Amino acid sequence: MVALVVVSTFVVLVLGVLVAGLLRSHADILRSLHELGVGVGDPATAVDGHRDSAAAPPAPVSMGPTAGTPQLGDAPTVAGVTPAGDARAIAVTNSGRLTLLGFLSSGCATCVAFWEALQAPGAMDLPDGTRVVIVTKGPDREVPAEVRARATGRVPVVMSTEAWLDYQVPGSPFFVLVDGATGRKVGQGVASTVPQLSELVRRAEHDREPGATRRRPEPVSLDGPAREAAADDVLRAAGIHPGDPSLYPSTLDDVFPFGQPAAAPPGVGGGLPVRAD
Amino acid sequence: MATIGAHGIVARLPAGFEGRIFVRPSALGSTYPVAQFGTFPLPDDIGDFGSGAVNLMGPEDVFATLFEYGPESLGTALFARPGRPASFAPDDFSPIVLRRGLVGQSGTQWFFTEAGRPFSFYAVLGSHVLRGQLVPRVNTLLTSLALSPVAPDVPAARPRWN
Repeated sequence: MVALVVVSTFVVLVLGVLVAGLLRSHADILRSLHELGVGVGDPATAVDGHRDSAAAPPAPVSMGPTAGTPQLGDAPTVAGVTPAGDARAIAVTNSGRLTLLGFLSSGCATCVAFWEALQAPGAMDLPDGTRVVIVTKGPDREVPAEVRARATGRVPVVMSTEAWLDYQVPGSPFFVLVDGATGRKVGQGVASTVPQLSELVRRAEHDREPGATRRRPEPVSLDGPAREAAADDVLRAAGIHPGDPSLYPSTLDDVFPFGQPAAAPPGVGGGLPVRAD
Repeated sequence: MATIGAHGIVARLPAGFEGRIFVRPSALGSTYPVAQFGTFPLPDDIGDFGSGAVNLMGPEDVFATLFEYGPESLGTALFARPGRPASFAPDDFSPIVLRRGLVGQSGTQWFFTEAGRPFSFYAVLGSHVLRGQLVPRVNTLLTSLALSPVAPDVPAARPRWN
């Protein structure tokens, strides 16, 4: 009898330790979700990227001001395939502009409004020059035909499960704002409405680091008279003035004084594209 | 370092590059793979050789396109070169080798056959003056490409049902 009591007590103690461990693990998970900005106090909300339409709407989480904050980290290139099956990579750090990454799913009811809004960014009143990219999971976790049906071609749509992992996306919809000047995320989180997302992006833009200047000036495209004038300036700077003999070639040797480009076989002048748009 | 691949072309993109590998819809006849790369945000609706993109380049930018031609080009003199160039020298770039001449830019274009497929590699520098520092970036991109003899029409990299 005594042995039975001892064994029972031991079993109860072991089970108690196990339950305590499980509760602690659960608390760690909830804390991690809280830090990611989702599932705050709502364990019923799915986090697998396919929230049920009947689930509670996502809780809005502020995007920024967090420029350069270590915990948000660097923004890796988004690489995957397009809904048509082509390959696409978006480097979010190759300009001084903001890039808004919208992680959406084709089967997520909350995402419907964002699919439409993000593909008409002009109507969202985002900061000037903000680049919008939609990222879904890869073809292994999404239905390409459904993604293709939602894509209008106005903004890049990349299917990449790897990007979801890189950006630690807990579910859709989820948004990440990247500052191309610093190459870092300046905000991330969820928004329940499009105006709320626009406001969060504008606020993050306003709160960007003072030193986060553009990497380079926006290029200016010249055309018409301005292009002609610019060409004249370059020629004059090179010492070529109106009437210069080099402007009136009579033989191929005049055009290629140092020999024809190596890429072009004899008889093929200049190596110009044969087929171009 | 991101890697993209489709239609028998794989690119391990050097830092700062983005790109796309695609085949245009064949509404009129056959179309073949095109790979485009740039150190600046590439719009989705640009021409095969960069029209609509090269005017967005800054002086420190690079644009390149790898364009495949049809099998009827195989064996022709234009594509007689076996394999892509190993690398480019700054002197390989010239302002006159541009499809659209933009002030300050320069380009180069090479035709070759590799993996049994006829290609053209066309690269544009945002500034001819800076070619000394930009050409190595083109060379890094050039060596990051892997071309396989996969038939262009085989949708090897297209999404599949699971």
